[in-house]
Amino acid sequence: MMNKAFAVTLDPATSLQNHTGSWRTLRPVNVFKLPPCNNQCPAGENIQQWLFYAAEGDYEHAWRILTEENPLPACMGRVCYHTCEGKCNRGFLDESVGINSVERFLGDYAIEHNLAFKRPSKETGKKILVIGAGPAGLSAAYQLRRFGHSVHIVEAAKEAGGMMRYGIPTYRLPRNILDAEIKRITDMGVTIECGRKIEDIEAEKKNGKYDAVILGLGASVSAGADIPQGDTTHVLNALSVLGQIETTGEIEIARRVTVYGGGNTAVDVARSLRRIGAEPVIVYRRNREKMRANAEEMDAAIAEGIQVKWLSTISEASKDALKIEKMVLDENGKPQPTGQFEELPSDAVVLALGQNVDKTALSKLQNLQMEKDSVVVNNETMMTSIDGIFAAGDVATNDRTVTHAIGMGKNAARGVNAFLNGSTYKKPQKHDLAKFEDMHPWYYTDAPKTVRQELEVARRSNTFDEVQFGLTEENAIFEARRCLSCGNCMECDNCYGVCPDSAVVKLGPGKGYEFNYDYCKGCGVCAQECPCGHIKMVPEQI
Amino acid sequence: MLEQIEGSLGVAKAVALCRPGVVCAYPISPQTHIVENLGKFVKNGELKDCDFLNVESEFSAISVSIGSEVGGARTYTATASQGLLFMTEGIYSASGLGLPIVMTVASRAIGGPINIWNDHSDSLSQRDSGWLQLFCESNQDAVDTHIMAFKIAEKVGLPVMVCMDGFVLTHAFERLDIPSQETVDKFLKPYEPKEYLNTKEPVSIGAMVGPEAFTEVRLLQQRKMAKALDVIEEVTKEYRELTGSKSGGLLDCYNCENADLKLIILGSTVGTAKDEIDRLKAEGINVGIISLKSFRPFPYAAIKEAIGDTKQVICVERAFSFGARGIICPEVKRAVEGTSCDVKTVVAGLGGRPIFGTTINGIVKDALAGKFTEEFTFFDVNADVLNSYTQKHEGVTFNKGPINQSAIEKSVKA
Repeated sequence: MMNKAFAVTLDPATSLQNHTGSWRTLRPVNVFKLPPCNNQCPAGENIQQWLFYAAEGDYEHAWRILTEENPLPACMGRVCYHTCEGKCNRGFLDESVGINSVERFLGDYAIEHNLAFKRPSKETGKKILVIGAGPAGLSAAYQLRRFGHSVHIVEAAKEAGGMMRYGIPTYRLPRNILDAEIKRITDMGVTIECGRKIEDIEAEKKNGKYDAVILGLGASVSAGADIPQGDTTHVLNALSVLGQIETTGEIEIARRVTVYGGGNTAVDVARSLRRIGAEPVIVYRRNREKMRANAEEMDAAIAEGIQVKWLSTISEASKDALKIEKMVLDENGKPQPTGQFEELPSDAVVLALGQNVDKTALSKLQNLQMEKDSVVVNNETMMTSIDGIFAAGDVATNDRTVTHAIGMGKNAARGVNAFLNGSTYKKPQKHDLAKFEDMHPWYYTDAPKTVRQELEVARRSNTFDEVQFGLTEENAIFEARRCLSCGNCMECDNCYGVCPDSAVVKLGPGKGYEFNYDYCKGCGVCAQECPCGHIKMVPEQI
Repeated sequence: MLEQIEGSLGVAKAVALCRPGVVCAYPISPQTHIVENLGKFVKNGELKDCDFLNVESEFSAISVSIGSEVGGARTYTATASQGLLFMTEGIYSASGLGLPIVMTVASRAIGGPINIWNDHSDSLSQRDSGWLQLFCESNQDAVDTHIMAFKIAEKVGLPVMVCMDGFVLTHAFERLDIPSQETVDKFLKPYEPKEYLNTKEPVSIGAMVGPEAFTEVRLLQQRKMAKALDVIEEVTKEYRELTGSKSGGLLDCYNCENADLKLIILGSTVGTAKDEIDRLKAEGINVGIISLKSFRPFPYAAIKEAIGDTKQVICVERAFSFGARGIICPEVKRAVEGTSCDVKTVVAGLGGRPIFGTTINGIVKDALAGKFTEEFTFFDVNADVLNSYTQKHEGVTFNKGPINQSAIEKSVKA
């Protein structure tokens, strides 16, 4: 037995009599802020949360969180332009987290391990028609099925996938991956009917006794250009070239091909033609800075030896040459003709000047409000001007990427679900954005971004093998752990460790912490030392 | 064993003989050589089972000392001057918690103006800190007092400051008799803390105490100080019997039999004074010296007995209290209250101004001639230096020789 000093030495836990919480003028509260990646994601993915589980090595859980928003992670992990990474707070520290590469890893993991979506626990008995089996239609169908509705997709093309199949070349998206992810959706009970174009939507809805319709039509028609040409010149459009390569595996085309345009389709066409032995040249009327194509894709095209004629327009086409006019950019960045011409030897031209939605069926719908090329929708419910008819994807937006289509498809499904329940869908309010200056990055260790391996350039000119490789498990978990967990708890125990009053209570794995306000003096050390900015000090009402 | 060594090395050897578990300090002149030497002993293995901790400030040094002592280790640290002031918060905690830390204060004036030389303003500033304050008159006294200090601290349950004059002692080389390890081991047993943090019997040390018990905690601290008076005497007796040393004790009297005048002095000035007293004795002047060893606890009874029936006492003080007067004198007056003994303060030796035999001679002659008419007098002040400023700026001049309180007050009114 120790000889304990009077009053100043106490038995364990006796100081709990002092409810020091009464001294507090500020109280710490856990705040959940919106990570910039989540905020940026057009598909509305909960990126930070699925990275958290991936970082724990719980890939299935991570995949399940991911697929709550997006049913096609293996596809998206390949074709998404990952603007999330551009907003990643880690970019202020070293380099952004390779979100896209981890997404692909999780998607591939799920395919490899035959992970299936859960079938709905109960059937609502409601029937929904989805027109188009592209990313918007598939996403909408998947989400509707999760609600327990019956979903039937009608697709005009021979196979499901939309632009993912007929627009994106296989070196970017192998078709076995696309097929696997579509199959997972049909396994839930979604039916897809291919090779039928619906001419009369109203009649289809009525005859099929559908409770609602989602228009998921893609921009499947190439825009033309008026180029004076002799009748022998070979002028093609981008989607027919890509479609033909997709269906037959090749295309008969000349050696010297000019691809006209500066968007992603132009790059896809040029890179595809390169792979079947042609020597494509991209002709674009603006410069590289103004180019709409994704920078990574463009870099890859240049690496593969594709030539680009910047600031050029095609003014005339003849049998084996094009007349090119040089352009200059005016002070508004618009190309202006210079009157200077040159000749570009070329046996064929592929127009990649943008795509439009086939509006023939839409124009028959009375009272359908359109604006330019798009159907007008309520941006919360995604319902068109016609009750019970909703729209998502290319048909309803100018942001025509796979990612936007998936996000819009999900929102349309939510809109439909609310509509079928007799209410109106309201988007939940977003949390405040988690800004880098709200965080305390001292605790994060340096960790350079994992570089994805790629197929050697020499081997890319004659095969459609996938260019970019996936991450190994070791690399994927490393990359996931680079996540700063902006604005959300990652259970690092800092608050628990630094609290001088032991007033931070640990609730167990995955459950975070709570504050014991009986003893928290409001010193704010926890808030100051929380790396993620998850703790906020708020004034007490005194 | 007799050695001709620097005082700091002697103290380091003495501390090492006490087998501390933790030595922690931040360097500040004139204490530095002591902890440097201890660091070497730990490094070369002469001092075993001891953690020598480098810290970034004196505040950390006292904090580490508190922590290691609470953890049950015999702990030593050292400091001086501003370093001691920087420690202050922890100093009070250490005594309040009853932690028997031993700390050397290599006494040095407090700035500003910055001054690195010896006086007692640093150690005496901690008068009310609740630590025992033991002053050393020589390096031999310092060696022995450090060894005794551990035993006293651990018996009383309070920390001890061993105050030795900076430079005058710490940097002086002289013959020292360092006791053997065997002797010290016999004298000082392995440390058995009264209470310490351990997982078998968990406690919380250092709780808040409110108005309901604070007075009682303070009274118990005062009670420990009362006990310390006896402990210092017992431990001194034991140590002297074991080693034949003459060090330690509450106070030490020199030539006090039938003295006409007694000087009360702290620290190394005692040695100078003893030599001068011997010379004065040859002139037929009989002066006694009371070397005050224990300033806290203050030995009122022992002082009264040491003064005896002597009618005149001068406290030679190397610090004073601004706006008041001497620091030692009021304590002595309390000790002799009710008697006809006259007690006065003579301030000398501030900020390293040397106290020579001639200084002591002057104090004694002036005292016996009745020239100290007031309680408080600056003795070794240089009027020329003072006037070079006051005459030029204020038209005020001071007379040559000692300046008393009323002269200071008069100069303000003029």
